Amino acid sequence: MARSKSMIVALADIRMALKLRMVKMGLVVSAAFGPLMTIVLVAGPSLVFTGPELEMIASFLVPMAAAMLAMFSVIPATMISANALVGEREQSTLEPLLCTPMTDRELLWGKTLSSVLICSAILVLGTLASTIGIAAILLGSGKQLIVFPDLPGLFMLAVVAPIVLFAVVSLMIIISGRVQRVYEAYQMSGFIIMIFMIPMMAPIVSMQSGAADPSAIWMWNFVSFLLAVVIAVITWAVAIKQFNRDKMVSLV
Amino acid sequence: MVRKVGEIVTDQLSKRFGKIKAVNRVDIVVPQGSVFGLLGPNGAGKSTTTRLLCTLLKPSFGTAQVGEFDIIENPVKVREITGVLPEEGSHTLYPSMSAYQNLEYFAKLYDVPDEEIPGRIEELLTFMELWERKNDRAGELSTGNRQRLALCRALLHKPKVLLLDEPTSALDPVAAKRVRELILSLAKKYKQTFFINSHNLSEVQRICDRIAIIDKGQILLTGTTAELREQLHAKQEYMIRVTGDIEKAKSIAESQHFVESVKVGVDSLIVTIDNPFENNSQLMQGLLAAGVNIIEFAEEEASLEDLYLEVLNGGGD
Ligand SMILES: Nc1ncnc2c1ncn2[C@@H]1O[C@H](COP(=O)(O)OP(=O)(O)OP(=O)(O)O)[C@@H](O)[C@H]1O
Ligand SMILES: [Mg+2]
Repeated sequence: MARSKSMIVALADIRMALKLRMVKMGLVVSAAFGPLMTIVLVAGPSLVFTGPELEMIASFLVPMAAAMLAMFSVIPATMISANALVGEREQSTLEPLLCTPMTDRELLWGKTLSSVLICSAILVLGTLASTIGIAAILLGSGKQLIVFPDLPGLFMLAVVAPIVLFAVVSLMIIISGRVQRVYEAYQMSGFIIMIFMIPMMAPIVSMQSGAADPSAIWMWNFVSFLLAVVIAVITWAVAIKQFNRDKMVSLV
Repeated sequence: MVRKVGEIVTDQLSKRFGKIKAVNRVDIVVPQGSVFGLLGPNGAGKSTTTRLLCTLLKPSFGTAQVGEFDIIENPVKVREITGVLPEEGSHTLYPSMSAYQNLEYFAKLYDVPDEEIPGRIEELLTFMELWERKNDRAGELSTGNRQRLALCRALLHKPKVLLLDEPTSALDPVAAKRVRELILSLAKKYKQTFFINSHNLSEVQRICDRIAIIDKGQILLTGTTAELREQLHAKQEYMIRVTGDIEKAKSIAESQHFVESVKVGVDSLIVTIDNPFENNSQLMQGLLAAGVNIIEFAEEEASLEDLYLEVLNGGGD
């Protein structure tokens, strides 16, 4: 019966974020760039190379594309969550919001949900667009079909990316409790993305020569997965503990 | 221990920020349906008191009851029954949302039933003369209109208790009057309780049943407006407006043994008289005999301002 306050807050945040030109641009760019790059990386080589050469190139470009697609789906979360908390404080709308009969939990969850909703949509739609785009190009030009994502890629997109997303948002919430301005939160978000970028991109960087070793790719995917789980659990616990009205108002 | 009865009852309510005692052992009782005014200079602790009452801040010591709920044990319930106009209310709206959307958002967060939301918003916006501007972005409204909108937001869910931090600060005189009348009628009709922070002494004098003066976090004086008025009338000040030589008038007034003090204005004297009912006519005769032309002789309307200044200056000049 009770309407979910968290959902009301999340939808309002999304609506407001979309009114900011910078955020809107950022969303459009990362939502478009992810699948476009994926299509180029995966379908492109088939148009140029053939045989064992193509197989070798595809063996590392296909998982790499999945990792990058995941990355590009998570980046907008930093923008939205920075605006959702620090942005509200900066424009002094946080105080009336905190006066409403929401619990701290509901508010925290609402602020998380706005990023999670948008980024999940970008992730799912981006993956679909990539899969369809690649198939269309390859079949249209009479080449052999490459299924994207492959199994490690699917693991990356369906399992690792959502957890990374969650970890990024809760890190942003913790940061929001410590900075005064949105741009400071933006600056910090760069570091956060880096933390996850390293293991996600590691298999490509660590590659020496020849075809990618599937077991190395799996290993690094698991490292990303574990890192994301650990960070998500710790930061969420810290965020819940930190997220209280007194602290947020006192900081004003 | 005697349990005090009231819609808002604070018990040794205190808040520290580091070394600053922003609110220090404040005891206030506000009965249901009354309008309470908290007065005090800048930085006295008024806004901090309001923020404690609406559970934005946690007390460092002491507590308070709002309605039947304790602000520490039951903060969500307290927020449900209170409407808040934050300090600088005009800056607390979402600039990119329309006036209507701002109210709609908060109506949902305050659990106003869906079917009642449009009617409630229309009623409030119409009262504040903002209905024609309902689709304008809040950021495009003038400061005063934004303040009106913020007041609408505080009233949306028909809260039992309203905490208003300087409600008329940005309003033009006509709008301020409307808001004052609204406050009085809501308090009377629906027994809503108002807790108002203000610098506007004459406004407080007009609408508040009870007043407290706070400075450096401590309550210096509290009472009903009637009690305070009595206290004020202990002073017997008269205004004498004259034409001609005002200095002469002053020296004559000063020469009378029952005159305690004389202050000189442009064309008038403010005279403090001991036992005025016996002595006023003697003073008048003295002035007339000396050829001073009296145009007005009136009891000085004792204002809250006098009392306020006296209390804050630690007992007068
Ligand atoms: N978040 C905060 N952190 C530190 N000190 C604070 C904070 N909020 C208020 N104070 C201090 O507490 C004291 C009381 O401030 P408060 O805002 O309650 O005053 P006020 O009576 O509302 O003043 P004004 O009339 O200027 O609005 C001041 O000394 C102020 O500097
Ligand atoms: Mg104040």
